[in-house]
Amino acid sequence: MAIIDFINFYIVPGLLLGSIYAVGAIGITMVFGILRFAHFAHGDMATMGAFIALAVVGLFGVTPWTALPIAMVLTAILAVGIDRTFYDYLRKRPAILTVMASLGVALMLRSLVQVIWGVDPQTYQRGIVRPDTYFGILLRPRELYTFLSVIVIVVALTIFLRASKWGKAMRAMSDNPDLARLSGVDNRMVTLLLWTIVGALCAASGFMLAINTELTPMMGWFLLLPMFAAAILGGVGRVEGAVLGGLIVGMVEELSVLVMPGQYKAATAFVILLLILLVRPRGLLNGKVL
Amino acid sequence: MELIGLANYAIFMGILIGIYALLSLALNIQWGFTGLFNAGVAGFFAIGAYTSAILTSTPALNRMGGFEWPILLGWAAAMLVAAMIAWPIGKICLRFRSDYLAIATIGVAEIFRLIIKSEDWLTGGSRGITGIPRPFGDLPYVQSQLAYLALVVIAVLVVYLLVERQLKAPWGRMMRAIRDNEAAAAAMGKQVEARRLQAFIFGSAIMGLAGALFVHFNRSITPEAIDPMIATFLIWIMLILGGSGNNRGAILGAAVIWIIWSVSELLTDRLPTEVAIQAKYIRIFIIGLMLQLVLRFRPEGILPEERKRNPVGPG
Amino acid sequence: MKLKTTAGLIASLLGAALIAAPAQAQDARIALLGGISGPIAAMAPPMIAASELAVKQVNEQGGIGNGGTLRHVVGDSACNPQNATDAATKAVNIDRVIGIVGPHCSGAVLAAANSVAVPAGVLMITPSGTSPQITAIDDKDLVFRTVPSDDYQGRALARTIKERGMAKVAVAYLNNDYGKGLAESFKAEFEALGGEIAGYSAHEDGKASYRSDLAQLARGGADTLVIFDYGDGTGLTLLRQALENNFFTNYVGADGMKSDAVIRELGADNLETFFTSAPVGEASESLENFRAAFSAAGGNPDAIFTTTAYDAAFLMALAIEKAGGDRAKLSESLRAVASAPGEPILPGEWAKAKQLIAEGKDIDYKGAAGDHEFNQAGDVAGNYAFFKVSGDTYEAIADMK
Repeated sequence: MAIIDFINFYIVPGLLLGSIYAVGAIGITMVFGILRFAHFAHGDMATMGAFIALAVVGLFGVTPWTALPIAMVLTAILAVGIDRTFYDYLRKRPAILTVMASLGVALMLRSLVQVIWGVDPQTYQRGIVRPDTYFGILLRPRELYTFLSVIVIVVALTIFLRASKWGKAMRAMSDNPDLARLSGVDNRMVTLLLWTIVGALCAASGFMLAINTELTPMMGWFLLLPMFAAAILGGVGRVEGAVLGGLIVGMVEELSVLVMPGQYKAATAFVILLLILLVRPRGLLNGKVL
Repeated sequence: MELIGLANYAIFMGILIGIYALLSLALNIQWGFTGLFNAGVAGFFAIGAYTSAILTSTPALNRMGGFEWPILLGWAAAMLVAAMIAWPIGKICLRFRSDYLAIATIGVAEIFRLIIKSEDWLTGGSRGITGIPRPFGDLPYVQSQLAYLALVVIAVLVVYLLVERQLKAPWGRMMRAIRDNEAAAAAMGKQVEARRLQAFIFGSAIMGLAGALFVHFNRSITPEAIDPMIATFLIWIMLILGGSGNNRGAILGAAVIWIIWSVSELLTDRLPTEVAIQAKYIRIFIIGLMLQLVLRFRPEGILPEERKRNPVGPG
Repeated sequence: MKLKTTAGLIASLLGAALIAAPAQAQDARIALLGGISGPIAAMAPPMIAASELAVKQVNEQGGIGNGGTLRHVVGDSACNPQNATDAATKAVNIDRVIGIVGPHCSGAVLAAANSVAVPAGVLMITPSGTSPQITAIDDKDLVFRTVPSDDYQGRALARTIKERGMAKVAVAYLNNDYGKGLAESFKAEFEALGGEIAGYSAHEDGKASYRSDLAQLARGGADTLVIFDYGDGTGLTLLRQALENNFFTNYVGADGMKSDAVIRELGADNLETFFTSAPVGEASESLENFRAAFSAAGGNPDAIFTTTAYDAAFLMALAIEKAGGDRAKLSESLRAVASAPGEPILPGEWAKAKQLIAEGKDIDYKGAAGDHEFNQAGDVAGNYAFFKVSGDTYEAIADMK
């Protein structure tokens, strides 16, 4: 196999898939780190975000990439609303109840998508797009934009978390919630910011998946488990870990067909996950052990 | 006429509720009494189902099995194999805390599901296994259903009584002590790891039994039956809603969820068809909403755990 | 608390039973069970609509028996055994149906047949359960299907594309009973004919990328990709990624790929080298009748399995009419109305069929998806055509032997 084919058909798709996983895994790892529960509605929130973008495209006739920021804002509002309505009052209770609540939210979101947008597969733009060549590497504009968006999102988020007052507060909550509270971090504000970010990231990951494939009501649910694997792989609570984990999971999934039958592609994420839990439960980048 | 139909329907619901009640009881042993977040219920359900199916079915060309064992032996084997597989998994995974254990067990169950779907020689692959005998299957419809209901009820009763007895024994108190304060229990010299492993294996064996009861009821099994939504998450909803830590709550949760799920369709069927199809999507919404309402107004479940001397909630 | 809950549940159960108004004496009730929620959610609504078209035609053209109406309930079998047996039990015991059209997925069919329909003596016709396991059900002659077992179609497709000069192909199939059944029979026949399978792999549903799978398949040097999947599911993703990367020249699918979603989302001009097979009736007017009627009713005749779903419901109605509503005679009557010899009845010709049955004449339904001459096991042999994309629809270009 020519090296350029290997890059075009295994590495690039792996990176693309990994980027989508990464954006979703960042949200999961942040909820895990700060609120300490596994957010099962993450995938279906991504589906919702993708469909909101579809609605924006349909209503205002804008291009999908213009619709993305709008969808991110709307999904962020939705996420905050969901937290206020369904998760917030369970904060003092055992985490399992919030996990169950998020499972319920997942079902509700999926059902809403099916009722509002129907069950047929849909796309933002009809037809197919042949790739352009950059030094032998085949890339479609939408793939280029996906990579660029992921980079922008990760850089912006890192700057926010490292440099801004609220970003530091969030990191403090994630590292040591008791200490953070004692030092006067406003719990509610952190939670509000968290869900704003998580909602926006959900919309972005759902959108990127959809623009590279199709929109279906189940698309996010299928995404959920690999995203969890990515979050834990990178280390819980670590944003850069989630990015790394996402890229690894995506890459390994795409490369797995070289050595394994295709039907086991979906299992690779879990095999990596179990291995990492065995040898390094803190994840690659030293996340926290829950 | 109508009454007989209603009775038949009730019998059928009784059978499925019984099978789900077993799963819910098993999960209660693991979560309710021991605090193990097993999110791979479907995996052990599947192992039980396929073990009994392979051992008791009639021979088939393209896969292993068809040993035509007696049904009861098949059920015993289902429990045994589920327990045997739970042992190494528990050994490896139980050292993870709560949420990690959940993700690890989801992963294990998904790997099982993919193996079952893909390895034709063992499980018939995506085509599944047919030709599984059903006890009292030759009787007329109503009698056969009744007889099966009786079997399921006996299984639920036996498991319920066994679990209750164990919990009242020192073993149960110790389990709760470990769940509520692992460090203290360990400090008092309890073998925390071994006890948790016991609970994990015991619960998994009962999940295997539920799987076996399910395949013999349907005389067939295909991989669609072990979808995580209907074989893992649904059971979690049942247990949390019924009341984790309370065995009667676990059984009641299974009954309430299944009845609402099933009866809601009867009601939506009265609507015009265009609306009826939409209503089936909304049914899923209602299950989600119901879960939220219970969590809001009765977060400890319909029948909360009875705590006589220990008023502190699990952390 | 427990007592109150139980009482409440019983009350709601009784309430449900009361709402189920008792049918008129001559009325006949059937159930349409489909995978409305679950993995084939996109496929189920058009199939249900096609079955309903048959019911509507029956009632518009004289109904059942002497002034009776054909009534139907729609149940959700969700493509899994748990929900399928639940839906079938409700249909049989609460709605008192005498026949079931469905369920859609093979696993659901196996469970519903084994634990409900057969023991309760209710006729079941599935429009899309393609697994060979369904043939083997000990069914007391109560389980039928209007869709041929995968075996026939895979073999017919192998012969056709070999004849059309595609000698070296790669096969990608969905890892479920439908995809696997087709792939295995296709492979056996294609290799027996001297064709070369230069790539053969299964894939799971719902992954975001199949590009490396496709690259792997393309490495064998095949110019044709055969996809056994659904055109409104993963098959669409796969076909898009294959087309966008120019992995192959020709693309061939079976009936599952013959979906309007493929044309709608990918565009007809990109699909010039895309072909599908699908079961058709011997008389081409059969399919035309159905297409016209279903389009007029607002349906999309290019949606997957709508022809078999229509035929299943129409055959069910014919059998009920022939049996005079007698449940015990239903399967015997079904064989009588579906098999030659007899006056041919095409889709939509209910009034004519009713007249002939009343006169005691033999009829033979020639359906939109085939002639439906049921064999001993209740299976039909397939009669297929080869389709290409033309404008915004599929056009038959050749019969398949």
